[in-house]
Amino acid sequence: MGYTITEKILARAAGLPAVRAGQDIKAKPDFVLAYDFPGYTDVYFKTMKEDFGIERVAEPERFGIFIDHMVPTATAKEEELHINTRTWCAENNVPLFERHGIGHQVAAEVGYATPGAFVVHFDGHVSQLGTFGTLAIGLRRNVMEAFVSDTVSIRVPDTVRVNLRGSLRPGVMARDVFHHLVRRLGPSSCRFQVLELGGPSVAAMSTEGLQTITGLAMFTGALTAIVNPDPVRLDYALPRARKKLEPVSSDPDARYSAVHDIDLSDLEPIVVVPPTPADTHDLTEFLGLEINAGYLGSCASGRLEDLRAAAKVLEGRRVKTGVSLHIVPTSQELMAAAAREGLVSTLVEAGAFVSSPSCDYCFGRIATMTAGQRAVSTGTLNVRGRMGSPDSEIYLCNAAVVAASAIEGRIADPRPYL
Amino acid sequence: MSEATLNMPVMKGRVAFIFDEVNFDVDQIVGVKNIKITDVAELAQLAMQTYDPDFAKSVRPGDLLVGADNFGYGHPHYPPMKAMRHLGIAGVIAESFSPGYWRGEVSMGFPQVSCPGILGFVRRWDEIEVDWAAGVVRNHSQGTEIPYEPLPQADAEMIEAGGLVPFLKQQAAQQREQKDHANVSGT
Repeated sequence: MGYTITEKILARAAGLPAVRAGQDIKAKPDFVLAYDFPGYTDVYFKTMKEDFGIERVAEPERFGIFIDHMVPTATAKEEELHINTRTWCAENNVPLFERHGIGHQVAAEVGYATPGAFVVHFDGHVSQLGTFGTLAIGLRRNVMEAFVSDTVSIRVPDTVRVNLRGSLRPGVMARDVFHHLVRRLGPSSCRFQVLELGGPSVAAMSTEGLQTITGLAMFTGALTAIVNPDPVRLDYALPRARKKLEPVSSDPDARYSAVHDIDLSDLEPIVVVPPTPADTHDLTEFLGLEINAGYLGSCASGRLEDLRAAAKVLEGRRVKTGVSLHIVPTSQELMAAAAREGLVSTLVEAGAFVSSPSCDYCFGRIATMTAGQRAVSTGTLNVRGRMGSPDSEIYLCNAAVVAASAIEGRIADPRPYL
Repeated sequence: MSEATLNMPVMKGRVAFIFDEVNFDVDQIVGVKNIKITDVAELAQLAMQTYDPDFAKSVRPGDLLVGADNFGYGHPHYPPMKAMRHLGIAGVIAESFSPGYWRGEVSMGFPQVSCPGILGFVRRWDEIEVDWAAGVVRNHSQGTEIPYEPLPQADAEMIEAGGLVPFLKQQAAQQREQKDHANVSGT
């Protein structure tokens, strides 16, 4: 019986010849990542010093800290948090990435998405590094274990394999693939397991699309998602890799707890209806519902293919008066590329409010909605109060749907615009 | 069953509430509009208002909550269960848990047990008990028992230690001990 990519990565990280799903192990993460956020990094830094007497981390190159929330700051207290983070990173010689963009995307750009690496973070959206054959798990507060010791205590997870075949039709995007997975498999289908994407269509899917799908894995209950790295992904990741590791892949006879087949050609655009990421519907069921705001961005979406889709819909058209459309590229690297392609001018000329990368739109810190307002969004989540008032609503959908809806002022089908 | 579970906190009390909604978003316990309140006494008074306005009055220290499949799905915050603990709730038994929620509460040292079949096994206010040694949940009101799923070792140890930081301190102490007495095998 062969091994999954997850079992192989964790075996190496645990210093064992082999591990199997279900085994309790202590594994040494190759990289420990975090963004600064009150109650998280400030607490880790303090606890390390005061409770564990750790003045300096032993291997600073294993760490990576991002400043992507509260960017730019709105209060002095937020700036103090950032100062604390900058100081800690400087004292510890730990790489800090401030204002490079949303950390989970930047992590890939700067080489933490090393194929074959084991990565931990507190935030589960780090799962998107799985696009590159990296096993990246969000541990919530428990990531503190990786700050105060070399290893983390985990149980080797089982794997659910999803084989993708066929190809997406126009107007259908990676977002729809993910939300379709939640619909088909269920929001608890991959609980405490790894969602492994494979099948004949993976190689043809864009890296950005795979980042979108893997980045949202938590809403299937998965601990993370992973793709066996193919030449396209290796071409991106290997030159940037921060560590020399042999990329690994699942054996053909690896054991999966379940195997599902998805034909991409069957898929339609989807909307996820508030207040839960589990409530997925065909877009056509909700056409015409009035909206006040649109948001295109986040660690899940906001990359070039999303910006291109929106630009295609918006080119030569106007965002409806009274609708606020916020477009926030996921990273500086992507924003610069979008500018070079002329996408930024197309979006701005159509009336979109285009901002530099920040996480703040996704959780309502800015562009905050009030009671009774409704948004279409490519953000990660649609729970109550996520983008402002608990009595505002978020309909999640793909970037083209956000753009079409912003033109019409109601949930709209992008396909007539393409 | 790991021997660590023999020192687990007591989970013995009445079923104070049954959340029968699958994918239950725990933030609803206090209401999203109250999620930023930091005063736990205030949160406790607001808790469960939409489910049972008399909840705070009827609950007793040691009482337990019962949940359905994928309990804690969504984007769980810590205040709801802080409020519940303030009211005396001693743990949660659910059909299954959402991993993010599970991790977060285990890191607080809050005992939780995944027990397929629990919804059909209890009625509200039944006297129940988690028998850590036997690996079962007992329903004393009905004289029945049902097995629960063994906890991952690290989770059991973290709950036993009383949460993340005490658990990590324990581990650090053990590692020092192992270094000091290289000939003594670990516990």
